[in-house]
Amino acid sequence: MLSVILTKQLPGFTLDVRWDSRDAVTGLFGPSGSGKTLTLDCLAGLVRPDTGRIVLGERVLFDAAAGVDLAPRHRRLGYVFQGYALFPHLTVADNVAFGLGARPRAQRRRRAAEVLERLGLSALARRRPGELSGGERQRVALGRALAPEPALLLLDEPFSALDLPLRRTLRDDLARVLREWGTAAVIVTHDFTEAYRLADRIVVYDGGRVVQSAPRAELLWQPASEAVARIMGIPNVLHGTVVKATPDRIQLRWRGQTLEAVNSPVRSYLPPPGAPLAFFIRPEYVRLIRKDRVVADPRHHMNLMLGEVVADEDFGTTWTLRIRLDEPGPPAQGAFDLEVEVPHLVYEILEIERDRRWEFSIHRGSIHVLPA
Amino acid sequence: MRVRLVILAVVVVLGGALVGSPAAAAPGSAPPILTIFAASDLAFAFRDLIPRFESAAGVKVTLVLGSTGNLAKQIEHGAPADVFFAANQTFVDDLVAKGAVIAETRALYAQGRIVLATARTAGSKLTALTQLRDPRIRRVAIANPAHAPYGRAAEEALRSAGIWDAVRPKLVYGENIRQALQFMESGAAEAGILALSIADAPAVEWVPIDPARHERLDQAVAVVRRSPRPELGVAFIQFVNGPEGRVIMKRYGFLLPGEF
Amino acid sequence: MDLFPLWLSLQVSFVATVFTLAVGVPVAWALGRRTFAGRDLLAALVVTPLVLPPTVLGYYLLVLVGRRGPVGRVLDSVGIELAFTWKGAVLAACVGSIPLLIRAAQAGFETVDRRLEAAARTLGRSEWSVFWSVTLPLAWRSVLAGAVLAFCRAFGDFGITLMVAGSIPGRTQTLPLAIYDHVQANRMPEANMLALVAAGLVIALLLGIGRLVRLRY
Repeated sequence: MLSVILTKQLPGFTLDVRWDSRDAVTGLFGPSGSGKTLTLDCLAGLVRPDTGRIVLGERVLFDAAAGVDLAPRHRRLGYVFQGYALFPHLTVADNVAFGLGARPRAQRRRRAAEVLERLGLSALARRRPGELSGGERQRVALGRALAPEPALLLLDEPFSALDLPLRRTLRDDLARVLREWGTAAVIVTHDFTEAYRLADRIVVYDGGRVVQSAPRAELLWQPASEAVARIMGIPNVLHGTVVKATPDRIQLRWRGQTLEAVNSPVRSYLPPPGAPLAFFIRPEYVRLIRKDRVVADPRHHMNLMLGEVVADEDFGTTWTLRIRLDEPGPPAQGAFDLEVEVPHLVYEILEIERDRRWEFSIHRGSIHVLPA
Repeated sequence: MRVRLVILAVVVVLGGALVGSPAAAAPGSAPPILTIFAASDLAFAFRDLIPRFESAAGVKVTLVLGSTGNLAKQIEHGAPADVFFAANQTFVDDLVAKGAVIAETRALYAQGRIVLATARTAGSKLTALTQLRDPRIRRVAIANPAHAPYGRAAEEALRSAGIWDAVRPKLVYGENIRQALQFMESGAAEAGILALSIADAPAVEWVPIDPARHERLDQAVAVVRRSPRPELGVAFIQFVNGPEGRVIMKRYGFLLPGEF
Repeated sequence: MDLFPLWLSLQVSFVATVFTLAVGVPVAWALGRRTFAGRDLLAALVVTPLVLPPTVLGYYLLVLVGRRGPVGRVLDSVGIELAFTWKGAVLAACVGSIPLLIRAAQAGFETVDRRLEAAARTLGRSEWSVFWSVTLPLAWRSVLAGAVLAFCRAFGDFGITLMVAGSIPGRTQTLPLAIYDHVQANRMPEANMLALVAAGLVIALLLGIGRLVRLRY
């Protein structure tokens, strides 16, 4: 159980956050410069907060009111820095053994060898960090932080220095290592996919404040506000007007359409008619209606709309389409209204390359209302 | 590993260095050492005199030459001199007043003279002070009047000849009278005012300067208070004033106690 | 040919360099890595010996450690003499060379990546251990360069040594003072000899250190 309350005033930036987590892996997610790394530094004891309290399990690491401020070396935390901060003048083995100082020599060597083995680094034991690849360095940094068996592992953008395919592999490796070693962790990242893949709970940072703290699935489907949705990079964040709101349904007007959406299950949200409303639609949940069906059935196909594909992009396994509705007036997102994602197979079968006009439907459960 | 070897080497060197000073003589097993601080005008005379004293007294002598003022200052601050031969009286009297030297041992031991010297490479010998104004004499070497009595006597002589202002731009100050001679020997100065006692150097010719032109160079000596063996200093003073010493001092142009 | 001044200078310079390192490295670290009250004053003080004329420095040192000076009297009571001894020459050499060491070492410490030190702290090391196991090993070249500079400066010191230790032949007459003495007395062959031997030795030393440094990683 990790409980974090802290404020820190820096020239031009204020950090004021409060969150806690019982989850094995907590992700700190948000745009660059929102205070995530600063939070890690405060957790590690490298930066002293102005006020607050940090508790890990039974131990109080920091308490401004009580005058408690454990030095970094007494906190028993592992820290994998952005860029890894490996000691260039020491071998891989010495780097990994660096935090094992207090034990007798033979024990240190054994533990270091064990860690190297488990991370597949044994062959590199005598090399220097300068001779390693990015992925190898990341593993050494991990091994160095884990070797002293810390109570909590802190990772700052562990993959930002690596190229994309490597990132994927190592991400999965890290998830596995964290599970196997059973070490709790706090991971900082500005990539939502990474946060989702690695963390059980995600704390969303924006401008030095926490804007949402939730289990990852909840965050994915129920961002707490439009701001959070934008931080997550969700496409199709749209604005409409409320027609009618009930506890489980909201009817809204958008681009000449009357759409029906489910209401936010997390909080009871009853905006009055005529109020502005933000909502989002995940691109992969827009269904194009096959033209060999006789007629679109409104009972079956909800929120029916008609439009034209004005742009498409090939992403290998999927295609992203940009659709402009057959409605007068300017489109909602510049040159288009909706972003739609279809699997490659669908794109080919429906011959979308050639046939650009489509009816499509969106299930009411796929239109997510964003509380103001 | 290498780092440790280096550190070990340094410690060994350091240990050796701190344990012994290179000049340390094992006490009692070597001849006693007498440290003499003497004004530079005694350079030649003492060079002759000291070996005789060493063999006569069984004493090893360390001779430190310098300008009287500088030496006096060092003695005042605790320099390890046993006896101090100055080129005048005032500096010694000053040390007596400060208690740095033993008043009872203070005595005059000689009177000095200054001469007008010309470097042999500079052409014909100058015979009068006023000739220093000659343009072929570009630089004139004297000892620094601020702390060398012979330098002050030189200034007094130049003033009395009425040429101080004319010659002043050409003056080069030696730190002591011996360095003034060196300026002439190296060709840096064509002429100079030197002590008679060191003027018999091959590189220069000289004529005497009328002693009435300057304050008398009565030279005093005293034994330094902090000396661990004051009797050695006294012995040396007695040697200088003794039969052997006086002969040598006279040879270098000094007037001796009893003659002035 | 009396080579005593050479041995004396070597001894004085080595000892002075060790003391310079012992005092200078911590000061360089404090200036490069820490903020504290009076830091600017300390930094200015460190530069002072570079700026003041050697004789002025020597004079103030003499006033301080001479037998009548405040420090000198205390030392005298425990039987330690600095003025007019080879130890005084060491002091003079130190004062002249500390600023050079501190500047070189401080620059070296400042270029060490702070995150490496932060990493060491999170891995359980005390500040002392962080310095010895991370900061110093990564800055050792700068420290060594500073030490070499300090040694050369100590070897060649004249004005401060002359004031504090005097030029007593066979006791405190270091090589630069001996050369000056020979020149003053117009003993040019001796002066030349000493100067050549000194130059040869120092160059050999520098070359030797250059070799040693290049052999390491």
